[in-house]
Amino acid sequence: MPSIDISDVTKRYGTDTALEGLDLTVERGEIYGFLGPNGAGKSTTINLVLDFIRPTSGEVRVFDLDAQANALAIRKRTGILPEGVEPYDRLTGRQHVSFAIESKGADDDPDDLIERVGLSADAADKKAGGYSKGMTQRLMLATALVGEPDLLILDEPSTGLDPNGARRMREIIREENDRGATVFFSSHVLGQVEAVCDRIGILRDGHLIAEDTIDGLRDTMPDQTRLRVTLDRVPDDSTAALEAVESIDGVSSVTPEGRTLVVACADRAKTTVLHTIEDYDVTVEDFTTDESSLEDLFVAYTSDATPAEVAR
Amino acid sequence: MSAIIVAKKDFRDAVRSRVLLALTGLFALFSVGGAFLASRLSALFEEGGAESTLDLILALQTPASFLVPIIALFVGYGAIAGERESGSLAFLLGLPHRRRDVVLGKVLGRTGVVAVSILVGFTVGLLGLVAFVGSVSLVDYVAFTLITVLFGFVYVCLGVGLSAMTRSTTRAAVGAVGLVVVFWFAWSVLAQALLFAIEGELLPETIPGWFIAMNAVPPDAAYGSAIAAVLGAGQFTASSAYETQGLIDGGVPIVAKPWFGFVLLALWALVPLAIGLWRFDRVDL
Repeated sequence: MPSIDISDVTKRYGTDTALEGLDLTVERGEIYGFLGPNGAGKSTTINLVLDFIRPTSGEVRVFDLDAQANALAIRKRTGILPEGVEPYDRLTGRQHVSFAIESKGADDDPDDLIERVGLSADAADKKAGGYSKGMTQRLMLATALVGEPDLLILDEPSTGLDPNGARRMREIIREENDRGATVFFSSHVLGQVEAVCDRIGILRDGHLIAEDTIDGLRDTMPDQTRLRVTLDRVPDDSTAALEAVESIDGVSSVTPEGRTLVVACADRAKTTVLHTIEDYDVTVEDFTTDESSLEDLFVAYTSDATPAEVAR
Repeated sequence: MSAIIVAKKDFRDAVRSRVLLALTGLFALFSVGGAFLASRLSALFEEGGAESTLDLILALQTPASFLVPIIALFVGYGAIAGERESGSLAFLLGLPHRRRDVVLGKVLGRTGVVAVSILVGFTVGLLGLVAFVGSVSLVDYVAFTLITVLFGFVYVCLGVGLSAMTRSTTRAAVGAVGLVVVFWFAWSVLAQALLFAIEGELLPETIPGWFIAMNAVPPDAAYGSAIAAVLGAGQFTASSAYETQGLIDGGVPIVAKPWFGFVLLALWALVPLAIGLWRFDRVDL
């Protein structure tokens, strides 16, 4: 039984489409990283799962329950760290955690949770209105952990955290997962997801454009290379030159940076690229290649290149 | 149960507001002022002595009917919209609370806050009455306090109802000010204008029942009616001035009867609350 099952969900705001026919499944017990640039629809998806908003069409199920009809039953078993959440200015950190414990009917010790997320006891006694973004994230994580939830939903959890805080966050995600919790978390930074996730899905413009394990995603572009070609000058007919390079079989993207051309392409296309450029009466002064990192893959997926071009 | 948990937290949060402290202080000041005025007036008329209901009402109803709506609307208008704006609603609703539990919890918590404000104001007012007037009927005082808390609850429902209908505190605040303008000025002006349009003169010899009824409808008038019903002091209803002179065409309409004040207060509390609940339950946050 999947923990989250989103099928054919469309969400429109007036004439704006935030999500279009989204299908997404998070299996029980996995850590699922939900990636995409800001504005891709990640928070919309999470808000649908939490029943903060309702789909225009399609179905959202959590623990095999309808997200809207059974919102209460779902939230009893779910820990949530919403994006951009603000604490109550006039309540202390500890009061927030105690309130979450009372709300969930759990029997956690607030001090244990506060210590676990790395919030000092002193800070927990202060009013949350004076908290930094990082302290707020820690506090909200503490409230999300209340009652050993079966599902943790974390929207951009590393926002405002220093490297120590981000590491602590990853450790907690792993610990919770080891305990048996399913973790679904979103980020616009690949590095945070790469380190902990079993599977990642990449969202762009309201579409899930890739979904696989990290290794699986690497395999989709096994021979991808990034070629940096430095020329003696910009070709006279630079537009035609760019188009010629772009049209080479195996080239997925071409970005001019002054006299340098950055070409993402398959290994086999390298020599063709160099020859093609030289056809435009310029001399290649230097060129370097490097293996594509997952970061490049992510950028390729989420920038202007279409998925079809990336996969080529 | 969930609504109670929300109410407790909300009370703890909202009662710490500095503006509320200032409004409560102002309320206490007006209550003492009312007590002083009451002692002067009762000395002037020499009627009923220090324990007369008149003293109590002069001392406390006047400041209450102006300041309780302001305090309650101030406490209520941001209850939901403010949390939507700031983002703390995501924390609240991320926990297992239904949206209606949140709205009801807010109403309970903020009514508690307003009740504290009223109790502080009236306690100071009571001390003033004892000092200036001599003594006061405690039964009347308690009854009066309870009805005033009910009155505060009505305006909290109006405020929270408004707050649940919009995602902007600015709009909720405009709505709250609008309510005050409607209930304090526009309503009676409209009634007067209608009277002129229908009867052809500003002060007809006999007042039609509908005019009396219409003036009895706003929550502030209903508060007066409810006090009259409990304290048996009929001179404080909206219709009393006309009634005693036998000027009402066809007797006092049911809407203007003192006991009907409770019905009106209930309607003013529950209708806006129901609309707010209905709207908030369906909206995208």
